[in-house]
Amino acid sequence: MKVMPFYKRILFCSSILFGLLAVTACSGPTSSNTVSISAAFEFTSLDPSKNGYIFSRMQVVETLLDVNEKGLLIPALAKDWQVSEDARTWTFDLRDDVYFHDGTLMNAEAVVNSLLIAQTKHGALRNAPINSISAAGDSSVVISLSRPYTLLGAVLANYANGILSPAAYGNDEEVLALSGTGPYKVFQFAPPHKLVVEKFDDYWGKKASIPFASYLTGHRAESRVLQAKSGQADIVFGLDPASLPSLQRMDILTVSSNSIPRTIVLKLNSGHRFLNDVRARQALSLAIDRKGIAKGVLRIPGSEAEQILPASMSNWHLDNVTSETESEVGTPESLLSSLGWNKNANGMLEREGELFELTLITYADRPELTAVATAIQAQWQAIGVTTKVEITNSSAIAMGHQDGSLEVALIARNYGFIADPLGVMLSDFGSNGGGDWGAMNWNNSALSADLMTLEQTSDPVSYKEIAQRSAQILFNQRPMIPVSSYVQQTSVNNRIKGFRYDPFERSFYLNEMEFVKP
Amino acid sequence: MMKMKKSQWVGLAILLALLAFSLGGMAFSPYSISQQDLNAIMESPSAIHWLGTDHFGRSMFTRMAHAVGLSFGLSLLCMFTSSLVGTAFGVWSVWGGKKVDVAMGIVVNILLALPGLVVVLLFAAIAPGSFLVLYLAISLVQWVEYFRVVRAVTQGVIQSPARQSSRMMGFGRWYQFKRHIWPAISPSVFTLAAFGGANAILTMASLGFVYVGIQPPLAELGLMTVELFPYYSEAPWLLAQPLVVIALMVFAFHLLAGKRA
Amino acid sequence: MKAMLLERLLQLITVVWGVGTLTFILMRSLPGDMAYRIAASRYGQDNVNSEAAALVREELQLDQSPWVAYWHWLTDLLQFKLGDSLVSGLPVMDSVQHMLGHSLLLALSGLMLSVLIAVPLGLLSAWRGNPLDSVLMGLSSAIRAMPVFVVGVLLLLFFALHWGLFPVAGFGTPAHLVLPALTLAISLAAVSNRVVRDSAKHTFQAAFYRFSRVKGLSEWQTFRQHGVRNIAVPVVAFFGIQLVSMIEGIVMIESLFSWPGIGHGLAHAIFARDIPVIQGSALVMGVLFVLLNTLVDIICLWIDPRGAKA
Repeated sequence: MKVMPFYKRILFCSSILFGLLAVTACSGPTSSNTVSISAAFEFTSLDPSKNGYIFSRMQVVETLLDVNEKGLLIPALAKDWQVSEDARTWTFDLRDDVYFHDGTLMNAEAVVNSLLIAQTKHGALRNAPINSISAAGDSSVVISLSRPYTLLGAVLANYANGILSPAAYGNDEEVLALSGTGPYKVFQFAPPHKLVVEKFDDYWGKKASIPFASYLTGHRAESRVLQAKSGQADIVFGLDPASLPSLQRMDILTVSSNSIPRTIVLKLNSGHRFLNDVRARQALSLAIDRKGIAKGVLRIPGSEAEQILPASMSNWHLDNVTSETESEVGTPESLLSSLGWNKNANGMLEREGELFELTLITYADRPELTAVATAIQAQWQAIGVTTKVEITNSSAIAMGHQDGSLEVALIARNYGFIADPLGVMLSDFGSNGGGDWGAMNWNNSALSADLMTLEQTSDPVSYKEIAQRSAQILFNQRPMIPVSSYVQQTSVNNRIKGFRYDPFERSFYLNEMEFVKP
Repeated sequence: MMKMKKSQWVGLAILLALLAFSLGGMAFSPYSISQQDLNAIMESPSAIHWLGTDHFGRSMFTRMAHAVGLSFGLSLLCMFTSSLVGTAFGVWSVWGGKKVDVAMGIVVNILLALPGLVVVLLFAAIAPGSFLVLYLAISLVQWVEYFRVVRAVTQGVIQSPARQSSRMMGFGRWYQFKRHIWPAISPSVFTLAAFGGANAILTMASLGFVYVGIQPPLAELGLMTVELFPYYSEAPWLLAQPLVVIALMVFAFHLLAGKRA
Repeated sequence: MKAMLLERLLQLITVVWGVGTLTFILMRSLPGDMAYRIAASRYGQDNVNSEAAALVREELQLDQSPWVAYWHWLTDLLQFKLGDSLVSGLPVMDSVQHMLGHSLLLALSGLMLSVLIAVPLGLLSAWRGNPLDSVLMGLSSAIRAMPVFVVGVLLLLFFALHWGLFPVAGFGTPAHLVLPALTLAISLAAVSNRVVRDSAKHTFQAAFYRFSRVKGLSEWQTFRQHGVRNIAVPVVAFFGIQLVSMIEGIVMIESLFSWPGIGHGLAHAIFARDIPVIQGSALVMGVLFVLLNTLVDIICLWIDPRGAKA
């Protein structure tokens, strides 16, 4: 009895679909008025705390503060902000005449409402030492803190804290409609694959020139490359390094390479009996042929990384470190033999009858990680370390950290997730033993104390001094081994001009793009 | 043994040749499947590397030999298991009476209603990278086919006067099976087995294609296809190798099957 | 007829229960903490950590025992509820409808195309015989020896990349449908043209068929009066079975062409441990299987009423 209605419904659905297909073919977004974007990441929800990175990149949602290419905070929905003498009260003056996509005017009450809801959800705001968030008049918002917290500005710039219209939320703080303030508004939301946005005419800033923009999730790297080559997608993010040479030969598109503060690093369990001595970690680090990986596997010569944070984050990057620096401590062989490891008849390292065996986990979301893991596996094999590579899901890293089962993980860590790298450093190295995506069973009280101090340091000179000290500790102790810094490869069709890449991956800058007039 | 047609001999010959290639490659190649040389990536075939090197500078000859061996091993295992289980249950379902038949019917219907690949994906997620699980999953999907055919044929045989008289003469069940049932079902089982071998190879290659169940540096035909695909314009000979071998193996199994699907 | 329908209804119920239970057991035996997987799908890989997992666990009450969870599912099912997705929080019914709609669209167009390809070619090879027969059979053998995704990739390379006729991936316009449907159709036609050919050959050689030619009917009249129905029965039965097993090939095709269908959705739900979505879609596929089988039986009966007694 259940069957018939259901079956009918299916029929109904497909007939509607046919109809829709016919309708959409002749109105709305077409390839001539839409910039089409293809990237790997799916979205399932309208909630900024969940999939805000898509909505902020597609410029639907905006935050109080924005970040420029150098990582400095700039005004966005707040045109100005002041920090009190005791650094515990931040006041934000809101921009006037900002309209939400549902037509209502943005005011302090709406901003407070959004932030209070964001505070209850998963994200950086939840852990900030906030006493209260309140409106002061119609156009300023005051946040008072329980202790000085320099990170607040960067945290507010995170996508999870996007400002939505009060009408966007349902009763239980669920997001029902994505009424943001950006230059584009949602036109079609078809999770998990497709998002189409339409130009928002009442935008407060630079209004968009291209009427529509579409985002299509392309799960397969090779399929995205084909979309770029065929011209179906105007902008394709996350290109497979393997396909770069053939793309660079195409004349309908330009490949843009941009360094971003994301690093491919090995997360080590420093409590593991093979890895608890710094010499073992140094030996593993020295055994990696970073130049070979950068050139042969990632196909971006020069992207090899000796340090966790990239040169663009100059506070945290040591200038005196070269690819030779680490080899001063010895060779992998000498370091390992000083720990009692000797090669057995098969050329594999053995100590007291036990083989040097490690399990390395990584995840499939980023195809280059698997390739790098395969290369590292072979390079460690050469010094006598057996590595079992397991490709799993990104959640396995956090889980392995918590239950202690993780030995080695290869990850792509975004140190610009909070525009100020201190945010990620704190969660990765700040507390005892490390963090889900940082050090593991590795305690260094000097570093933790330094990071805590930085949270309350606003003087740039002493800030840099302490940050450099921390970077040196991380380099010497190798709780995590950097492999390569990330260079994001993006193909841009030549019919688009004005493309700009945001190293903090916050925005696609769609409103600055234009079609090249034929 | 059944008499084989010429085309079946050809199929067998192709399979044996591939097997010989695989065993020979595994035994005599001086390289391992994981040995890399990042300075010699994607070289064309030469005296040193007979089939060239892949994008990590690994010997393609060695990797192909291992990959073929793996596909063979798994497909033969699945073939034997599923034909054995399927035949046994098929016969039992007819012989064991109404209750058994109904119960088996329900199980089979449920299994049939679940798309095979979904079962395999679910199993593969239980123990990533385990071939035992892949083998179990593929066999679980494949035995149903044998069961259905064997059951249908057996139903006819069981009613036949010849078997009835055998039974009345007091011959044991094993004798009855050998004398009456097996000759009737063996051609079908043989044909199904050959198709099953081909399907197992295709299923495995498909799994590699959706990145399930295979961990580096293992060489597997489907995964090699995906890995080498981005280089299709730079080094087409590399991509062609796993594809040609998959096609050859499946084709040979189909030839061996003799009858058409 | 009535008995058959009743039997099918019974079958439907066992299939719904069995498929749901089986997927439930399999999903529950997956290793690792579900909360982490779900958190990864919800918050993205940059933002998944133990804190997110704890939130998810609390919100979804993942701590409850499997028995309680199973009981909830079963009672919901009796009220025709499929629950909400663990990842997106949306009703499973909606996402299954969305996915199934796309899958059915793809499957039906693929099937229609394959009928259009396979039936004429099959008849042609039966009618003309060698050498055309051998060429067509050889071709179909070659295609059958390729995994589905290889056919898809080849089509992509030529039609989308080389000639730029159709889009590479995506959905929403009829042009997007062409390549995935064609891929499906070709791989299906490679098998079904044999069935058509064998069935046609069988009929053409039958005594009754030759007799009607002898008694003076034209070739076309004979074909229409005696050929069509006799050839059709095994062909329809075959296509019915194919439609179901096609879902397998569909997973590959959907993945290759970014088509938001049920196969692809299922594969993703498995990675994300989204149990209600997996159960829901597996269930719907099971229902579809039974319905299609019933439909095929009815059509076969309609074409060839002799089967009614059997």
